[in-house]
Amino acid sequence: MIDITRDVIDAGVMIEAAKRPGMGALATFCGVVRDDDGVERIELEAYEDVAVRELETIRDEAMREFPIESVDIVHRVGSLRVGETILLVIVGAGHRKEAFAASEYIIDRLKQTVPIWKKEFYRDGERWVPGESMDWMSSRSG
Amino acid sequence: MKVRVKAFARFREILGSDLSIEVPDGATMAAVLAALRDRAGGEGDAIFDETGALRAHVILMRNGRRVNRNNLDTLAEGDEVAIFPPVAGG
Repeated sequence: MIDITRDVIDAGVMIEAAKRPGMGALATFCGVVRDDDGVERIELEAYEDVAVRELETIRDEAMREFPIESVDIVHRVGSLRVGETILLVIVGAGHRKEAFAASEYIIDRLKQTVPIWKKEFYRDGERWVPGESMDWMSSRSG
Repeated sequence: MKVRVKAFARFREILGSDLSIEVPDGATMAAVLAALRDRAGGEGDAIFDETGALRAHVILMRNGRRVNRNNLDTLAEGDEVAIFPPVAGG
């Protein structure tokens, strides 16, 4: 499943749903809101149509590059408190090494290319988290 | 003709999230950027430099595809232009 959602992400349910008989390993990456310097909550927004398309592209690339069986990526938007799940990536594979490698590839790509932004809220202020440059998208689109 | 403009993150706070901008038939991205510069006014420093050019990190899309800021293609009625800062998901 590829999704941008306002709903709470239930990692356990998603992991169970991803399992297939040929999988000996499911690597799960869970990105969580951290209380850096007194962050109380964050707000996430996405250019949704383009973000979903980019996530699908990343999934397809990972399936081509690694001998894996499945990729699920769900990303939250909206207001999230410290400790809530921002992102869940699940890679199903026969064995652990390719599952770990593919999940790292996916999260690295996601941070470069998927149009999502986050703003941190502190007790006495707020700031947009500085982003990455989308270099890869610019070279791809010509 | 009307072009839709979507802005995100800091740029949404400056420009608004979903705008409809009137540009002349045959206009290119330059006309949209000029209209956005006017709209941003004194708040536009995050998007435009002192000469009025887009800052280097600003990303533009036309109908969901990234385009160069100097792209000379003619826009069409109903096109969706997106403008946003570097991405920060995950």
